[in-house]
Amino acid sequence: MRGEEDAFDAFRELIGFLLSETVLDANGSVRLTSGPRRAYDPISLGGWNGPDDPLTLRNRRLLRLSMTLYREPYEKWHRLKVMSCSYQYQVDPDGKQWIFRYDYARDPKNVHPAAHLQINGSRLNVDGILPADRPLGRVHFPTDRFSIESVIRLLIIEFGVPSKTDSEYWRPLLRESEVTFQKIAHRS
Amino acid sequence: MSASNGHAEPLKLTREQIVDKLETGARRRLKMSAREMIDAYREGRLEDAGAVLDLLMLANLLEDDDDLFVSVAA
Repeated sequence: MRGEEDAFDAFRELIGFLLSETVLDANGSVRLTSGPRRAYDPISLGGWNGPDDPLTLRNRRLLRLSMTLYREPYEKWHRLKVMSCSYQYQVDPDGKQWIFRYDYARDPKNVHPAAHLQINGSRLNVDGILPADRPLGRVHFPTDRFSIESVIRLLIIEFGVPSKTDSEYWRPLLRESEVTFQKIAHRS
Repeated sequence: MSASNGHAEPLKLTREQIVDKLETGARRRLKMSAREMIDAYREGRLEDAGAVLDLLMLANLLEDDDDLFVSVAA
């Protein structure tokens, strides 16, 4: 995606559209948040009150959608890039009762894979499959870059979150948008 | 919360608002200060960083030389 300053808002509008046509509560909305840094470098995408404000879904559970976006010079233009991204399905606003989480960091500060999936489960510990101090929720399953479309699809199909629209609409909508993401997602 | 998914003005947070969110969130979720959380993350000591990635993203909105980034150990 060509990253001129209006690209941030175009990206927000796309994410908001995909969510509002599917799993997002009718009163929900995604919003850009900036701070003392220069207005558009970097900028966060998340809930109405910031990236720490989770979105309410149509089943009243929550999706914490948090991204940091920035622009990188590329030839005569800029590229819009994702510095970090997190999608967490959760029950409570603080996220202590989380269910699954996809995280991505372009420059991770720990040993975990740059893109990974975590699932909040503890039953595997019973049989000693994992070390006693490592519940399943602390296992970082490596993944490729993941898309918001794949998260929406997962919520609808596997977790039963009601969609505003029927599958004849949302399936091709998500598929076409995801194909575009896969083409432009720079993996380096 | 707005129902709008069309045009939406970006939320502009001051340094004080961001720091307040970081302090509140870090203390409630990790029982530590915002500075301790950021130190632990930058030094790779934060075991479950994913639990507070949203807060760390807020911190990205501060200037690089913000006082909050001066290490506790410094």
